[in-house]
Amino acid sequence: MSLPLPKRSSTALRDPDAFFGVQLSQKIGVVVGGSLSKGLVIKLEAHQSIEDLAVGRYIVVHGDKRRFFCMITDIVLDNSNPEIQNTPPDISDAFFRDIYQGYAVFGKIHAQPMLVIDEDGTPKPVKTIPAHFTDVMNATVDDVNAVFGIEDKVHFNVGSPLELDQTQINLNLKRLVERSIGIFGKSGTGKSFLTRLMLAGIIARDQACALIFDMHNDYGWAVVDERGANSKGLKQLLGDRVSLATLDPASTIKRGAGSRRDFDVVIGYDEVEPEDLEMLRETMGFTDAMLDAARTLRGKWKGNWIGKLIDATNEDFDEIEATSPVRVGTLQGLQRRIQRFRKWEFLVEQSTGDSVRNVITHIEQGKSVVLEFGRYGNSVEAYILVANYLTRRIHEHYVDKVERALGDAGLEPNQLLIVIEEAHKFLDPRIASQTIFGTIARELRKYKVTLMIVDQRPSGIDEEVMSQIGTRITALLDNERDIAAVLTGINGAAGLREVLARLDTKQQAIIMGHAVPMPVVVKTRTYDEKFYQAIEGDISGQPIRLAKNGGSGDDNPPPRSPKLGSGGGDRRIR
Amino acid sequence: MVINEKRHVVGRVLRASTTGFDCGTRSSKIDDKHTFGSFVKVPITDDEAVIAVGLIHAIRIDDDALARELVMASVVDNVALIDQRENRMVPVEIGVINIGYRFNGVMVQSLPPRPPLSLSEVELCTADEVYEFTQRADFFRLILNAKEVPSDELIAAALNYASYAYPEAEQYQFRVNCGRKLAMLLSNDLKRLSHVLALIKP
Repeated sequence: MSLPLPKRSSTALRDPDAFFGVQLSQKIGVVVGGSLSKGLVIKLEAHQSIEDLAVGRYIVVHGDKRRFFCMITDIVLDNSNPEIQNTPPDISDAFFRDIYQGYAVFGKIHAQPMLVIDEDGTPKPVKTIPAHFTDVMNATVDDVNAVFGIEDKVHFNVGSPLELDQTQINLNLKRLVERSIGIFGKSGTGKSFLTRLMLAGIIARDQACALIFDMHNDYGWAVVDERGANSKGLKQLLGDRVSLATLDPASTIKRGAGSRRDFDVVIGYDEVEPEDLEMLRETMGFTDAMLDAARTLRGKWKGNWIGKLIDATNEDFDEIEATSPVRVGTLQGLQRRIQRFRKWEFLVEQSTGDSVRNVITHIEQGKSVVLEFGRYGNSVEAYILVANYLTRRIHEHYVDKVERALGDAGLEPNQLLIVIEEAHKFLDPRIASQTIFGTIARELRKYKVTLMIVDQRPSGIDEEVMSQIGTRITALLDNERDIAAVLTGINGAAGLREVLARLDTKQQAIIMGHAVPMPVVVKTRTYDEKFYQAIEGDISGQPIRLAKNGGSGDDNPPPRSPKLGSGGGDRRIR
Repeated sequence: MVINEKRHVVGRVLRASTTGFDCGTRSSKIDDKHTFGSFVKVPITDDEAVIAVGLIHAIRIDDDALARELVMASVVDNVALIDQRENRMVPVEIGVINIGYRFNGVMVQSLPPRPPLSLSEVELCTADEVYEFTQRADFFRLILNAKEVPSDELIAAALNYASYAYPEAEQYQFRVNCGRKLAMLLSNDLKRLSHVLALIKP
């Protein structure tokens, strides 16, 4: 077809995009609604592929006076007329597709504002929201760096944010260890890997000593991952900074770490107190009456009450019954349960050394201790007994030292991080208030002992304890109750629920709380040769810092932007 | 089609209002300048500082007594036929809807402030003028909301016409951009939208 249109001059050529206004390359949409409590609703630009967005990703809303850092919490398909759902256009035709998509039908995202950077550059908590039709951009490397800063002695690179591989999230280790830490995730999501990664950073950078109750031999020596590859254990990675102890020397020798172990943990019957059995109430079926009976026996038979109970006869029980309110039936029940101790070779009639002293000595020397359970890792009872036994005594020691340090700062002990797995067995709501672990979780940093609890059922942990956990590092969870438990006390939790339930099954976690300025989904670093080199660099005093975040590659980085606060780079929003 | 920079006069204004005008021309002058959906312009003031821009939405050829007689004849003489077409005293009427105006060099996509005076010369817009005018799409609403014009067909014809003002490489994107604007304006009437889109599909 040809029309009698007088020819136009060639100089009049203009950009067709100008027809509806030029779009900025990074703009992904505009704010069209929302609230502070429920988050923002953002209509996507037509050019923005909805498939390129993912929950958990950062976006930045550029308001007139401040930048709002938001996390995508939901993605929605919408249309300008619901009738179109009944008569969908034929978008196999490119022309119709180009017209309908983004205009008659379009994408929307819901985003939760996490923090605000004001005109003066200071991150602040979100107390307002941007106006209608404010531009929404992809978060850039600079945006992420403005919040998370650069890697240095205190800030440890744990991975990169979603879709921003060229930058990194740096966790404030100092803040991480000063309150208890929770590492959660369903089975097979890499909790042990995450824990090892965090511990390597904490120990290599001297932020705390760790006492690790290594239930499944995941941390001390070589670990075979799911692909069958051998990963270095903390002892191999961190050398003298880690002491390897074992409850099961045969297992440690079999795994090739026999000569590298520092000491064996052996506990005498005479060292076990009735209070050490308290936590076995559920797993071994101790009743209140049995625990009272144990106290009575301890009073009557003194030190070797367990050894005597194991071998006691009915006559012995009759005698106890005659002189105390304890019934024979109760004693027999207690005996049957205690007799299981005989299977555990680390429990002996008379201990020749002092395992508690050994652990404390290593910690006082600034070393972390990995206690391997060997074959006893399959016995929850053994794990709980030993963890409770050692922790009670070490905590007492710390309380004593901290109180003495009030008069002499030189006596202040190292920050201690106690790592326990299957934490819900220790922090069950029914026992948490009475156990040492519940006490540690509540006391926080007062006595310089904090917990790192690793668990797959956070809903089984006491609510009060959960509320005291400073930093939560959570891999995929799909149980509603577990998700709710992890999000207790977190701002904007409703939006994060979707994020949490949709994490990848591997190498992804959301970090929330004390150690990060705002919740962040990270693709965690790979525990590989490159990571080993970085850790070895930290130990040798020649740290390898990735330059991509602007790091200088040494431990004297240029001063942080004054806009981001001062001192130790405390960028957290309170 | 011969395209040149000379003036393409469509006709002279017969009657006018701010919403549109009719212009007339001799029936012998009817050619491809008089196309449904063409962009035309007409001065509103003598100094041509204000020029109304419109779209041809109707072309009417009225009858007269002789034409009615000839229609009834069993055989029409060729000379009479040519004479009737070239010399009859009834003009061909071209209906134009106003969609904007130029005021001191600035294109405005709204109704002109005044109608053109009668007998003003109506010309086709040049390609540059069509290109400039279609950089914005505010005139779409004027067409879609116009009464007594076949608005769907008119807007489709106008956009097809305007696309030829664009270089070939830009024509597709121009149509897509127009389609997107129509998708927004006609979002409450999807059947109408799909009809118009089918008409402007390249």
